[in-house]
Amino acid sequence: METKYGKTVKVAAPPPAGVRGIVVQPMALVARQFFKSLWRPSTILYPMKERLENPEFREEVKVESGAPIGVGEIWDNYRGVHALNIKTCISCNLCAFSCPDTCIEMVNVDAGGGKSKKCPQIDYGKCSFCGFCSDACPEGCLTMTPAYTITTNNRKNMVYSPERMFEVFKVKLPQNPTRIALPANEDVILLDQDLCIGCNACARDCPTKCITMIEIPRAEAKPGEKLPKRIWKEPSVNDSECVRCGTCISVCPRECLYWGARK
Amino acid sequence: MSEMWINMGPQHPMTHGLWNLRIKVDGELIVDADPEIGYLHRGIEKICEYRRYNEVITLMDRTCYVAGIAWEQLYIMAAEGALGITPPARAEYIRVLSQELQRLSSHIIWYAAYVQDIGLMTPFLYGMRDRDLVLDLFQSYTGARMTYEYMRVGGVRNDVPVGFTDRCRKVMDWLDGKLVEYEKVCDNSTIFLDRTIGVGILKAKEAIQDGITGPVLRAANVARDIRRDRPYSAYPEIDFDVAIHDGADCYGRYRVRMEEMKQSVRIVRQVLDWLDRNPGPVLAEKVPRFVGTPSPPPGKEIYVERRGYPKGRGFSSMEEPHGEAMAYIINEGAEHPYRAKLRSPVFVNIAAAKDYLIGYRISDIPAIMGSVDVCLGEADR
Repeated sequence: METKYGKTVKVAAPPPAGVRGIVVQPMALVARQFFKSLWRPSTILYPMKERLENPEFREEVKVESGAPIGVGEIWDNYRGVHALNIKTCISCNLCAFSCPDTCIEMVNVDAGGGKSKKCPQIDYGKCSFCGFCSDACPEGCLTMTPAYTITTNNRKNMVYSPERMFEVFKVKLPQNPTRIALPANEDVILLDQDLCIGCNACARDCPTKCITMIEIPRAEAKPGEKLPKRIWKEPSVNDSECVRCGTCISVCPRECLYWGARK
Repeated sequence: MSEMWINMGPQHPMTHGLWNLRIKVDGELIVDADPEIGYLHRGIEKICEYRRYNEVITLMDRTCYVAGIAWEQLYIMAAEGALGITPPARAEYIRVLSQELQRLSSHIIWYAAYVQDIGLMTPFLYGMRDRDLVLDLFQSYTGARMTYEYMRVGGVRNDVPVGFTDRCRKVMDWLDGKLVEYEKVCDNSTIFLDRTIGVGILKAKEAIQDGITGPVLRAANVARDIRRDRPYSAYPEIDFDVAIHDGADCYGRYRVRMEEMKQSVRIVRQVLDWLDRNPGPVLAEKVPRFVGTPSPPPGKEIYVERRGYPKGRGFSSMEEPHGEAMAYIINEGAEHPYRAKLRSPVFVNIAAAKDYLIGYRISDIPAIMGSVDVCLGEADR
């Protein structure tokens, strides 16, 4: 490959240092640093000043040009404690699937009206804050916030139940907005029609209800052959509503659903 | 006088990590050296075989704790080759930006630790202060300070935030002045010069025979830089120089790294200008599902077989802050890599310790081993 650059620079040795180099310059440097540090310490006085969550600190580090950094502020991209909107969670299990540390467990929460549904519960003792769960969340209900103070004396407190993450959500911390950048998925759910028995399991468990069972014509039995025992229906997937969670594939008793590209 | 073996490590201020340098001494004189590693071995190459392509990224950050994003890109480039995915141009530029910021932060922390090894305490604090500014930049667009998890197969996780380029330029302006200050502190210190000039000499011929790469090789007057010789990502379109030094000693390695930091600042400025002019997507439009989000649960590989995912092999090599790193990934059509192999520059550089230690004194060891820039996380993998 041709390149526009290719120069190599030879780094020369420094000139021999005289009295000025040995005594004057280093002393001047040290003196300048010393006086600078008197009224402007470089460190953030952490317990007195919260780094990310304190609004006062945010004002301090605001860019002088006035332009906001990030969608809201710089810390909006910080990956800290998760916020979960229980109301919009569709129990698709994608966060638990995508977790490299298997720290997410789907637990039952009260969905109102005597019903319950599965929502993620995160064990921060295992979590590596990689953000794959919030990237995978199709509804944007599991996001990450800049909250990072989760130290505790009790290991059990590291486990955040869905309700506890809902409380984080209600505080309205700025939330990590990056799931907008998810790529389009080239795979869709395809059906092996010979294997399907029309059992409705996929349509029943689909979190977005994008699978409908459509009736198909009853096959004619050839002489000497028995008709398969089945319901004469088969699933039809609405690709635009499908979140690609794979629940239908895992519940299918005949393994007739699979990933593939739509022809 | 009788000779004896001494263990320097695994717990020793010189080691900068967990490893053991066994030296055979005759009085103060080193007559033999035998580096022993493996204390940090986590079997990352093997774990890769059980992780989906994107999940491996979390491991790569932990491969080297001062240059996480370099290893991310190394893996991602190999994985993209194995899967046949091309990232968009803007993603490539953001990757180059990340590489150079990482090189800055890695070299600054090398400077801080090395100068402290030599006996100057104050520059350590300068280094840590300025590295934090670079880490703040990382935090503002990747979301973390050390374990970034930013690259994705097919691009990067998110675009740089609004106003990021202005902020980054300010930090670069700040670093411009500070890099000069770093050099002043060291070049005016007779202690530093006495302990580095003519110490730990590794000539070009030996270095090439040992397979040594990175600043150590360039300090031996060999102009070898993968960014220029086998350019990857957006490096073909970027103008920069390769720093070399003919001293082949600790002082040469220090000078080469200092010059590299200046070149990194120069590259970052070019990339920022490009990013301002060229908005666009940062992720490939379509990636296979098992890369983007997870596949069916284990035990149901039948779907993968039916899907007929593409097979392929990917190789990538890049100029990591410590030297030339390489990755090779075999994709047999499953959702995990069939095999992943990583080549660590530090592993090779410290394996040749015998060649640059023999003939020097025990008190030279911190100066020599520090100048090699040891990061055991990646050597042991």
